Amino acid sequence: MSVTSTNVPPAPQISGSIEGDVSQEFTAPARAHWLRRLLRDRAAFLALLTLALVILGAIFAPVLATHDPASNSRSVMTPPAWMARGNAEHWLGTDGQGRDIFSRLLYGARLTLLIGFAAVGLGGFFGSLLGLLSAFNAKIDPWIMRTMDVLLSFPAILLALALVAVMGQGIVPIVIALGISSIPDCARVARGIAIGVMKQEFIEAGRAVGLSNLQLFNRYLVRNAISSIMIFISLRFGQTILIGATLSFLGLGARPPASELGMMASQGRDFLLFAPHIAVIPSVVIFIIVLSANVAGDALRDVLDPRLQA
Amino acid sequence: MTTPKTPALPTPVLEVSGLTKHFPLGGGFLQGSKHVVQAVSDVSFSVGKGETLAIVGESGCGKSTTGRALLRLLEPTSGSVKLDGEDISKLPPHRLQALRRNMQMVFQDPFGSLNPRMTVRETLLEPLLLHNIATGKRAHETVNKLLVRVGLAPHHADRYPHEFSGGQRQRICIARAISTRPRLIVCDEPVSALDVSVQAQIVNLMQDLQRDFGMAYVFISHDLSVVRHIADRVAVMYLGRIVEEAPAESLFADPRHPYTRALIQAAPRPVPGLRVASEPPSGEAPSALNLGPGCAFASRCPLATDLCRSTRPEIDAVDGGPTRIACHHADQRAPMVFPPAPTPTPALAARLAVMANARNSMT
Repeated sequence: MSVTSTNVPPAPQISGSIEGDVSQEFTAPARAHWLRRLLRDRAAFLALLTLALVILGAIFAPVLATHDPASNSRSVMTPPAWMARGNAEHWLGTDGQGRDIFSRLLYGARLTLLIGFAAVGLGGFFGSLLGLLSAFNAKIDPWIMRTMDVLLSFPAILLALALVAVMGQGIVPIVIALGISSIPDCARVARGIAIGVMKQEFIEAGRAVGLSNLQLFNRYLVRNAISSIMIFISLRFGQTILIGATLSFLGLGARPPASELGMMASQGRDFLLFAPHIAVIPSVVIFIIVLSANVAGDALRDVLDPRLQA
Repeated sequence: MTTPKTPALPTPVLEVSGLTKHFPLGGGFLQGSKHVVQAVSDVSFSVGKGETLAIVGESGCGKSTTGRALLRLLEPTSGSVKLDGEDISKLPPHRLQALRRNMQMVFQDPFGSLNPRMTVRETLLEPLLLHNIATGKRAHETVNKLLVRVGLAPHHADRYPHEFSGGQRQRICIARAISTRPRLIVCDEPVSALDVSVQAQIVNLMQDLQRDFGMAYVFISHDLSVVRHIADRVAVMYLGRIVEEAPAESLFADPRHPYTRALIQAAPRPVPGLRVASEPPSGEAPSALNLGPGCAFASRCPLATDLCRSTRPEIDAVDGGPTRIACHHADQRAPMVFPPAPTPTPALAARLAVMANARNSMT
């Protein structure tokens, strides 16, 4: 509209054409695919790349491993190749029983990631579902949340001990224990996020349009709450891997000679003073996995929220 | 005052009687509640086809609660709401969902009332598909038509709500509301979150749509100037009850209830140099938590007597006319005096003359 025009209408009339008002403005550029947007974020890209490498390494462990992870060699506590007395045969060195650390890392990451994904999947799914239901229906809310309070008072380690006592040592009781101990946290966070969503007018608007409870729950509540819940779950993934490693460190997890990153760190504890690499290397890998998961989770949130798209 | 007044037809679109909504307050896990907020008490009115009934009142008087209870977005505590003669207050959920086709709502906050994760197309398709109004390709065409009808363009359909301005979003909300060709639209302060210039556009759009589609509006607002423009009839609410209901013209020309008079007197008038003539009512409004037996306005009313404090006046028609009022002493009212515009000071007069001049040269 030209500013110099002297033709100022006395009152805005909206019957005919007001096209010029809205249609010609902002022709927004086509929205980039969410994956491309995700990769544009450099930190997220690095984190995803690292995670992908670790996951690929774990999947292709039988191909990539240079040695049998369980077989002992004569060279015990060999330091990594770049250190004095290291050799190219075992480029990350060997542990206290002469097993190749690199090969054990690959197999260990397998188990660690499996425990992490399974436990977080279990806890995240049921926890968020309970939290979302809690926020959606005020009648069942107190019952669900009081149950969560009870669940919250079981420490994961105690739960794992009890389950291991019943089911025997292995990763299944560990996954269940970690999953269950994730449920109340996920439920509380999901409920908090969902209550914020439920308070918004569009929920009422959806009801006014005639949506059923199920449609309202799926299209309005879950769709608006899920990205924030996902970031919490991805943070929880890092934590779960840490607790899982702790349980293995305490000897509750995987059964030797299988390798698990936490267990490897635990086994290195005895040699901490004269062969620190045995404990440090798996710990560093755990650190990298957890850090990458957290960064990637953050980036995923930004990408999934249409309001944060620049 | 500018719109032709349609007389209410014999079968009203909406018939509300004795609508009451009380909110229990407090009470936690495994314990009952102790107090009750009487948000809406015994509200009755009817709205004819193509008619606009405005509900006005100060914030907290229960007008929004009334609007939501009408559509059963809140379950009414008691009372009945009839849409086209069918009592919706006792319908089972699935019947109610189907009936929502005939009653829609436009909300106050255009930023909050659209699902931010759904494109405009998804939002507008939803009611169409839900109520089997159109399917497949025809539904998409209907969305385009709806957008054009409310002054947007088809290419807006694939954007998200956050990409629009407040006025544009309210147009989308209106498009959603008219998509099912409802008999009734409840508008809860539809323009109060918008700029004044945009308000006029939206109000005009709503009037155009009403003329074309003939739906009835229940227009909830606190803005008397907007109400005066759009409403055929006005109901004034105070602390959960209707205290006066009258055709818009007569309500603004001759308000009968002391509260209505105070409300109209308090509304700003665009007259340069005008001083407020009357004192606003003094005293505090009683809390909706403990209302006494008498008239809720008695503590602030200039006409209040002991009768007002002990007995609540029932709403009743006056002079056999369309006006209904709940007041013991309405016949004692003094004529409404609007102070004349004061003689402007020379400086102001000169300035007004310059502006009038400029306005004339433009047209």
